[in-house]
Amino acid sequence: MMSKGSKSRLMRRCMVIMLFILLIGFGTTAFRLTQLTLFQGQELQQLAVDQQLVDTTINARRGSIYDTNGKILAQSATVWKVVLSPANFENDKERTIVSKGLSEILGIDQESLFEKTKENTFYSVAKRQIESETRDKVLEFIEKIEKDYDITGVVELLEDYKRYYPYNDFASSVIGFTGSDDQGLAGLEYQYNEELSGTPGRLVTAKHGDIEMPFKYEQKVDAVDGNSLVLTIDETIQHIMEKYLKQGNVENKVHNRSVAIMMEVDTGAILGLAVEGGYDLNDPFTIADKTTIAEISKLVGKEKEEAESEALSAQWRNKAVSDTYYPGSVFKIITASMALEENTVNDDSRFTCTGSYTPVQGADSISCHNTLGHGTQTFAQAICNSCNPAFMMIGAGIGKEKFKEYFQAFGYNAPTGVDLPGEATGIFFPNISDLDLAIASFGQGISVTPMQMVTAISAVANGGELLQPYIVKQIVDADGNVVKSADKTVKRQVVSKETCEKLSEILEMNATEGSAKNGYVAGYRVAGKTGTSEKKYDVNGDGQDDYIASFCGFAPADDPKVCMIVYFDAPLGDNYYGSAVAAPVFAQIMGEVMPYLEVSTQYTDEELKEMDTTANSYLGLSVDEAEAQVKADGYTCVVKGDGDTVAAQLPAASTRIPQGGTVVLYTSLDEVTNSEVEVPDFSGLTLAEANMVASYNNLNISVAGVTGTSDGLVLLQSEAAGSTVSAGTVITLTFTTSSNYGNNNVM
Amino acid sequence: MDFIHSGINRRKKHDPARNRTRRSDMMSDDFAVPIQDIHGRRLPSARERGKPKKKLKAFRVGAGIDMPFMILVIVLLVCGIIMMFSASYPIAYYGEGNSYYYLIRQGIFALIGVAIMFVVSYVNYEYLKKLSLPILGLGFLFLFAVFFFPSSTGIHRWIDFGIFNIQASEIMKFAIIVFLAHWGAFQHKRVNTFKYGALPPLIIFVLTAVLLFFEPHYSGIVIIAILTSLMVILYGGKIKWFLIIGALIAAVVVVLAVTGKLGYAMERLDGWGKALEYIDDAMWDQTFQTRNSLYAIGSGGLMGLGLGQSRQKYLYLPEPQNDFVFAIVVEELGLIGALVVLVLFALLIWRGFVIAMRAKDRFGTLLAAGLTAQIGIQVVLNIFVITDWLPNTGISLPFFSYGGSSLIMMLIQMGIILSISRTANMNKV
Repeated sequence: MMSKGSKSRLMRRCMVIMLFILLIGFGTTAFRLTQLTLFQGQELQQLAVDQQLVDTTINARRGSIYDTNGKILAQSATVWKVVLSPANFENDKERTIVSKGLSEILGIDQESLFEKTKENTFYSVAKRQIESETRDKVLEFIEKIEKDYDITGVVELLEDYKRYYPYNDFASSVIGFTGSDDQGLAGLEYQYNEELSGTPGRLVTAKHGDIEMPFKYEQKVDAVDGNSLVLTIDETIQHIMEKYLKQGNVENKVHNRSVAIMMEVDTGAILGLAVEGGYDLNDPFTIADKTTIAEISKLVGKEKEEAESEALSAQWRNKAVSDTYYPGSVFKIITASMALEENTVNDDSRFTCTGSYTPVQGADSISCHNTLGHGTQTFAQAICNSCNPAFMMIGAGIGKEKFKEYFQAFGYNAPTGVDLPGEATGIFFPNISDLDLAIASFGQGISVTPMQMVTAISAVANGGELLQPYIVKQIVDADGNVVKSADKTVKRQVVSKETCEKLSEILEMNATEGSAKNGYVAGYRVAGKTGTSEKKYDVNGDGQDDYIASFCGFAPADDPKVCMIVYFDAPLGDNYYGSAVAAPVFAQIMGEVMPYLEVSTQYTDEELKEMDTTANSYLGLSVDEAEAQVKADGYTCVVKGDGDTVAAQLPAASTRIPQGGTVVLYTSLDEVTNSEVEVPDFSGLTLAEANMVASYNNLNISVAGVTGTSDGLVLLQSEAAGSTVSAGTVITLTFTTSSNYGNNNVM
Repeated sequence: MDFIHSGINRRKKHDPARNRTRRSDMMSDDFAVPIQDIHGRRLPSARERGKPKKKLKAFRVGAGIDMPFMILVIVLLVCGIIMMFSASYPIAYYGEGNSYYYLIRQGIFALIGVAIMFVVSYVNYEYLKKLSLPILGLGFLFLFAVFFFPSSTGIHRWIDFGIFNIQASEIMKFAIIVFLAHWGAFQHKRVNTFKYGALPPLIIFVLTAVLLFFEPHYSGIVIIAILTSLMVILYGGKIKWFLIIGALIAAVVVVLAVTGKLGYAMERLDGWGKALEYIDDAMWDQTFQTRNSLYAIGSGGLMGLGLGQSRQKYLYLPEPQNDFVFAIVVEELGLIGALVVLVLFALLIWRGFVIAMRAKDRFGTLLAAGLTAQIGIQVVLNIFVITDWLPNTGISLPFFSYGGSSLIMMLIQMGIILSISRTANMNKV
């Protein structure tokens, strides 16, 4: 018999066990579930989603780069990339089939591809930037492996972009290039990488643990294409600059590359920036310079590798902003403006040069480039003579403190802020001594970048405003809307307008009469200054320090539009003076750029005699009629072809033709090519001789540089001797004074 | 088969003389007490509620059984099959080529199981007294037999009967509950002594544990330890025994752990509670299932992703139809759905204990309570496993986890509880 007590105790124990299970057991269970779902839910869900979804990046199309007129300088075109989903491979047999097939199509190593197929991921890039031809082959292969071996979902083609530079090595230092991941590595591509690259889109798709999910989940966030850049660079001006800079570079055997920068003086816009020794932007990793390649090929092993990478970084280096140099006599413009502004000189000031000068008691004397001495000079004469002793005196008059202040005010102590990467800044003496001041007065001992120089001289040209140079005019989005617009940024008024006007007058005089006359362009009032500075090293081992030949000037002098610096680093040819090396190139470039910019010509009386006129149109007229008219217009007439009517003419209508020049009439367009003539060598000829040679060859000449004087001799010609051009073509000849020709001694 | 009324008849035949004889045989059956004697005291709640005594007709199928319990079993079974189907169809499709593979099999087993449950509910559970020793013997036989069946990755847990497999420990759990219920009832005067109360269950447990240790099946040891303890507590064991035995077991475990014999378990324990932490590759791979279970549970949030909308079942969570089915339940139905399921289980357990307390004899009480407690323990431990509070060692969720033999075992046990309720109710007539 069961007792009442034992029965109720059993009931109580049942109750206790039940409550224990329900309260403790189920209670903690409910607590744990609440904790995981409500408090850790989001975190866990994120982890779950991360493993369930595949996130594919959709590349954004990189923006284009245009010149100021909308010509395309850099553009991205669609290519494809081959992507593997290694996690979808089932066995090594599949891996072998795919890696073997793909390695043949893509031309990559099978072994490394096989390794890639073993990765535990859904995204592994096999090859980037394949063109449509290869893409078709890959597509075929994908179909084939599905049909023959039932391998699916392992190879995929995704759209990608490739950068193309239609002008190859054109403006290479400015534009820069991109790497394999479409990221900017140099120049504007680097500087504006963020703007250009846009925002990549995402494609999120549902993934499965092992095999496909039965439902599709797909969410797409479109890529936002990159913005495009519109530059201040004008393709035409840039081409002109590059053409002549290259010529100058070759003729003067420049060892260390050369630079030309043209700036709009009123805005700071860079119209052209040429660095000679450019490289092909479509192939930036190949050394462009043949001499360098030859030198490197002699090396072996590690030395060779180092030399190669050094050569590449030198090639990519933008000399215009990254390298500093002693500005030499060009800096005398700055010194002169300080003196004028501070009134330490006036019309009555006189500077006596005896051929050398001892700026500091006890120190060595410093000689002038004219060792005979310039005698007693006015301030203007001192500039035109580029007289070093005179400038040492002027500098001493300004004083060390003021000199330093102005050096800074002209922006030499800081980067100009131009929108190019790797900008260097000028170097001044940490503690300037009297001797330092003396040599700094004529531009030695202080280092500046070419960009700083052209910016400072532009300030003199525009009435004293130091501007921030810029190279990107507008940033435009993919739909063509202007996102950002650059504008003139005035940093400060450095010197007064009066100082600038006075100095411009002297510099124009200098370009017409003085040391800078090789930089003169007929019809355009050029103001400028040559510079020849000593470098502190010797590259050709001739025992002499090397030089930097430069010319900086602006035009027209009375209302300056553009300022340009031309700078050759270590010319090893016959000449190294700025007046002989840099000035003619300056003149050639200005001679072509000024008409392009439609700057109205202002000829002197003398120039009028040799003035170019513009050709009329004779097209469509009968040959007889045209011939009569050409003669009536004062030109010599040559007819090419047997036809009755004029189909073409050279020079073309509305282009320049010298007075009394030759007009060639063609009766058919074929004749234009049929009647090509070889360009004669004009060098060393006088204007009269050159004219004779030209008309004999049915060519026209246009003159630049020093003309109007009987002793002008041809220094440079726009078309190289021996090249072939159509009859009637206008060839620009740059003249120099006979005293400068061959033996130039102007510093 | 002996049906309820014959049982009643038999009970009516009991007389004090026979009871005495039995007592002299050192056997005590306290359940053979005439109902009239203890009726009011045994079920005070029924009297307090003033419920009229049910008029039951023995020939009706549902007659006498506890309807709430039966309904809860059916509801849980239906919910379980639906959720198991939802969780399993991707793996069924890819693994077996048929989305309904697990549904069909589980459905068939469920139908068979429910039929068996009703049949069992008509069988007088008192037969189990006689069968308790044979069942215990069968349990040990199975535990031995597993070693002669092919192992899966070195683990011997299943006995292959061709069309279905049976997990040896399932039989053993049942055997221990039945035996200890009988022992507790039979020896109820002596079970407060160590010799009668503690020694027999301890011997059975140690033997079972040793066999399970070599299978190995550690979670089985844990469940059997808990079940044995609960049974001993129920029949009136002393707490101090547990302290002594617990200390001994702890010492054994420590020795095994120190000598490095606990290889498999230690490996499992290493990753325990750290499924989201990256320790090393091996550990990361080992906690893969638990981690994905946590992902699924976390993804569910309050409301869940919706029925059938689980993402983790798409071959992320391995074997979502088995032990981890509840993770998919949470992912699809959210915390709300999970709590609803928990409440259903809680109600079932509450009802099971009510049946236990209303049982006509001590054996019935102990048996119903033990079988009910087993469900509760499995539910709690299963959820602890899927939420990374216990090592992942293979504890299935009753009615939800796929598995024909364990489902049938479970439904047989439910049938026994129903039989106990029916007997109690019949006696009230």
